[in-house]
Amino acid sequence: MIFDVNAYLGHFAFRRLRYNTASSLLALMDSKHIDMAVVSSASAITYRNAQAGNEELAQEIRSHSDRLIPFAVINPFYTDWKDDLKICQEEFGMMGLRLYPGWHNYKLSSPCCKELVDAATERGMVISIPIRVEDNRQRSWLLNVPDVPLEEIIELVKTHPKAHFILLNGIGYTRCPLGRKNNGLPSNYAIGLSRLSATLANELGQIITNLGAERIMFGTGMPFNYPDPALVKLEVLDASKADKEKIRSQNAIAWLSL
Amino acid sequence: MNARFDLNRRQLLQTAAITATGLSLSAEAKEPPSTLDHGTAAEISVTGTSNALPLKGKVIDCHAHLTHRSRKTWEADDRKLIEAADKLRIDQLCCSILTPQRPATAEGFRECNRWTADGMHRFPGRVLGYCYVNPGYQREALEEIRRCVEDRGFIGIKLYNEYNCTEPVVFPIVELAIKLGVPILQHALHSHYFVEDQPRMSDSGHLAELARRYSEAMLICAHISGGGDWEWTIKAARHAPNVLLDTSGSVTDEGTVEMAVAIAGIDRVVFGCDSSMTAGIGKIRGANLSIQDKQKILGGNMTRILQRRKS
Repeated sequence: MIFDVNAYLGHFAFRRLRYNTASSLLALMDSKHIDMAVVSSASAITYRNAQAGNEELAQEIRSHSDRLIPFAVINPFYTDWKDDLKICQEEFGMMGLRLYPGWHNYKLSSPCCKELVDAATERGMVISIPIRVEDNRQRSWLLNVPDVPLEEIIELVKTHPKAHFILLNGIGYTRCPLGRKNNGLPSNYAIGLSRLSATLANELGQIITNLGAERIMFGTGMPFNYPDPALVKLEVLDASKADKEKIRSQNAIAWLSL
Repeated sequence: MNARFDLNRRQLLQTAAITATGLSLSAEAKEPPSTLDHGTAAEISVTGTSNALPLKGKVIDCHAHLTHRSRKTWEADDRKLIEAADKLRIDQLCCSILTPQRPATAEGFRECNRWTADGMHRFPGRVLGYCYVNPGYQREALEEIRRCVEDRGFIGIKLYNEYNCTEPVVFPIVELAIKLGVPILQHALHSHYFVEDQPRMSDSGHLAELARRYSEAMLICAHISGGGDWEWTIKAARHAPNVLLDTSGSVTDEGTVEMAVAIAGIDRVVFGCDSSMTAGIGKIRGANLSIQDKQKILGGNMTRILQRRKS
């Protein structure tokens, strides 16, 4: 089984996405033998009112809840987010969050973010943080949203030891404590493999050695990205069958209590 | 190297011919497997590759780098590159070595090219050499290109960002490339902001301009998937038939390869990694194209370019 923790539906303001409806994404998943995926609204990244994107997502996946697991995009710097969070979990059945501090104009260290992380943790929701949405070199002339600094992630995981974080679309973890052995950090975060190298520097292999395969999750970034690069990483990864199974699906299933 | 994890050549090329209404496999799936298939690769169970297809011909990475020897681990790093190519079923890598600091001096680029030549000997048949020069050292650059192509068997020229490719100082290099019948791989990027540390950066629009001046030149626009706005890059090259688009780079945005083919045409898209190995292979594998088109991108087009060599 393959479980993708890094997928999206909807539109992105700066580039056309294909396979961004439930039916087309599922067709793409079928062609790649990806069984299940965590999805959130790509539209909500740039909507002022992110909740509108969550509503669209809930409607879109209504008849596909066996394969598409919805996460909410919540902006804690926007009014009424507590009600949005409650609706997303209790009415829409959303099992986690995606946070976009750069796009939504707050920092992970902001008091509003701390409050959101605490509230989500209280509700048993997993919190995923895309380090980037797209490569900053191709950004629109309208805006500049740098990657989420890993230093801010370190502080976040330290100050919220009971929360569960999934870090997506990042690299460079082994150049900071997040990807190092005996780093003194709580083991409350997992790392998505979409941008990790699996050859040459082989950051993926290094993180498995340093943190254990339990801390890596399979994720593609589709439909922003081709799913195949992530699949190829799994194929060339020099790891045991048991470790590959953890990465493919077992870790995500355990974290989401599915 | 651990052969257990080698990708099978057929898995490498799996196509997902997905339409808006469903999935379909191209008829080419019925072709017999390539005789060039690496028979030593162990079959592995790879979930998600049931629609695997055979590949004919070589897989050539048009944009690769060996390691500068100021890095202590250069030898091991070079070996890792070949091991990665083995795992991913890449037959040949077109490599250059760049100076760590640029603009490169004449001695600096000559040293890099000596090491590239050594790499061609250490990995015979696997490493093909690009001669890296700084056009600002015109006499030395032209001598070096002749030495590398005519005496050492290099396959092309690598230009970085010392000069924009439309500057007259570059023209003698292009004229020599035409005379020798070798391609130029031009570092390129188009961002919608000024890239301060690369003020003389070229983009595909500049390459198109150069291509209009020299219609016989074979110009490869480097890393469309790591060179900023790839949609701009592809569109700016539309009307430049002698500009090829190199798919390399770390960006794996869905649709990039298909758009390059749709705008530039299948004969003008060439496979590359630029050290992003799984990204490089993955995006070709994921592209919604026929097996013949993938064969052209993965090696057919570059083979055609290399056959135009005159010496």
